Amino acid sequence: MRLVLRAQRKSVLPREAGAAPLDIVIAIMAFLAALSLCAVLIAQRTAQDWRRGLAGKLTVQVLPPAQGPTQPALARETRAAVRVLETTPGIFSAHELSEAKTERLVEPWLGKGALVADLPLPRLVDASVVPGMRVDLAALRRRLKKVAPDGYVDDHRHWLARLSRLADTIMWSAYGVLGLIAIATTATAAFATRAGLAAHHDIVELLHQMGAHGSFIASAFDRHYLRTAFSASLVGALLAVILFIVAGGLEYVGLKPMAHLPPLALGMGQLAWLALIPLAGGAIAWATARLSVFAALRNIY
Amino acid sequence: MVRFENVGMRYGPGPEILRDVSFVLEAGSFTFLTGPSGAGKTTLLKLLYLAEPPSRGLITLFGTDLATASRHLFPALRRRIGVVFQDFRLLDHLSAFDNVALPLRLSGVRIEDFRQDVEEILTWVGLGSRMQARPSTLSGGEQQRVAIARAVVARPDLLIADEPTGNVDSDMGQRLLRLFFELNRLGTTVLIATHDRGLIATGRSQEMRLVDGRLVTMPTVRP
Repeated sequence: MRLVLRAQRKSVLPREAGAAPLDIVIAIMAFLAALSLCAVLIAQRTAQDWRRGLAGKLTVQVLPPAQGPTQPALARETRAAVRVLETTPGIFSAHELSEAKTERLVEPWLGKGALVADLPLPRLVDASVVPGMRVDLAALRRRLKKVAPDGYVDDHRHWLARLSRLADTIMWSAYGVLGLIAIATTATAAFATRAGLAAHHDIVELLHQMGAHGSFIASAFDRHYLRTAFSASLVGALLAVILFIVAGGLEYVGLKPMAHLPPLALGMGQLAWLALIPLAGGAIAWATARLSVFAALRNIY
Repeated sequence: MVRFENVGMRYGPGPEILRDVSFVLEAGSFTFLTGPSGAGKTTLLKLLYLAEPPSRGLITLFGTDLATASRHLFPALRRRIGVVFQDFRLLDHLSAFDNVALPLRLSGVRIEDFRQDVEEILTWVGLGSRMQARPSTLSGGEQQRVAIARAVVARPDLLIADEPTGNVDSDMGQRLLRLFFELNRLGTTVLIATHDRGLIATGRSQEMRLVDGRLVTMPTVRP
């Protein structure tokens, strides 16, 4: 029985020696593909956070008047703006931002201290929109103009559009990198298959001579490269998973591994997408090897 | 079974190796192909086992005209042919058992069904105790016997052997020849290329002689 099982398992191709460089190249490409996929996931999540944060919000900015005493006019117009907002259909709540909070908002650009305190900063009124309702912005602007001529309504649409474009650019760039990696993987698998065919030409010729169908010979090669690409891609994807888990852990304890970047921590649901990398790597190598073998067999009588 | 009509063969722009070769091998015949070295015997065998297409002429195999047949039919035609190559062409990473089992695997036979056949044929050629040996650990004669076992295990319709007894002693040569005759008795058409006149004198057979790419002796039944 042992003899039988051994014969059943035995591949018609010998195990290839010196294939480690191929494994390393595929593992690196899988790692880069995993990073690109994570970039897509982070860009999507960040764009959603931005949209969630700004959607359903309105801000009224009351600028200091050009003439006359600044503070009394600012205070009067701001209170009037709050009252207008509170009585506008679709507005859930409206409140004035304190001067301290406004100063904190401009702190990254202007710093803090006496200089900022002397600057005529605008007053900000933050308003929330009832979910699912639309606010008639034109009517709101007309009513505001009457009671707060220096007030301007900002519904953040401009910012949202720019942020969406930025997120889309990041996502499509990452998709582009994924596409390039898929092409590189295909080329690598094709090159490796051709090298394998050349190395085992005598075996391929013998099998062909003995009446093996192209699919029988191709399956010997495609299974080999499927296994190689799957296991090497798995290693690359696992390295990426470890990297993002470590990054998430550092963020959790308050350390930001990469400045000026959105949070890198990914949930298990998002990391599960990385399982696609070894599957895709294996599938690409399998299909490429199969097609390469069929192409080579067409040249044999 | 096999019909050659005015077959010529050249490799690339080189000279013709075979010239106007015409013959018929009847089903169930046993034929020796003889001729001096370089006469074109191996090339003729290559045309027969579909390793090369002829440069000109018509070949009909198992009733199929190869010139007009779809290439998709070729694997099935090849599986009906057992070949003993002059250089054996054994797969060195496989055991003797796995090498002999290869044609049966290619025919889709389940391993449970061919195990006994493989063991029997290996025992017949005197390798019953070396079934798990790799070809590189076998002597030239033993490798030749594995190659013969592989060629006959699937009971092909046509058996082609190129110098099948070149590396074995005369006793084993006679034993292998009995195997070929037994296979022939069961219906296999046999064509053996050989220099061994002693082999040709044995049993009921016919002879084809090639000289300088031309067939000078047509198959004629020997008593």
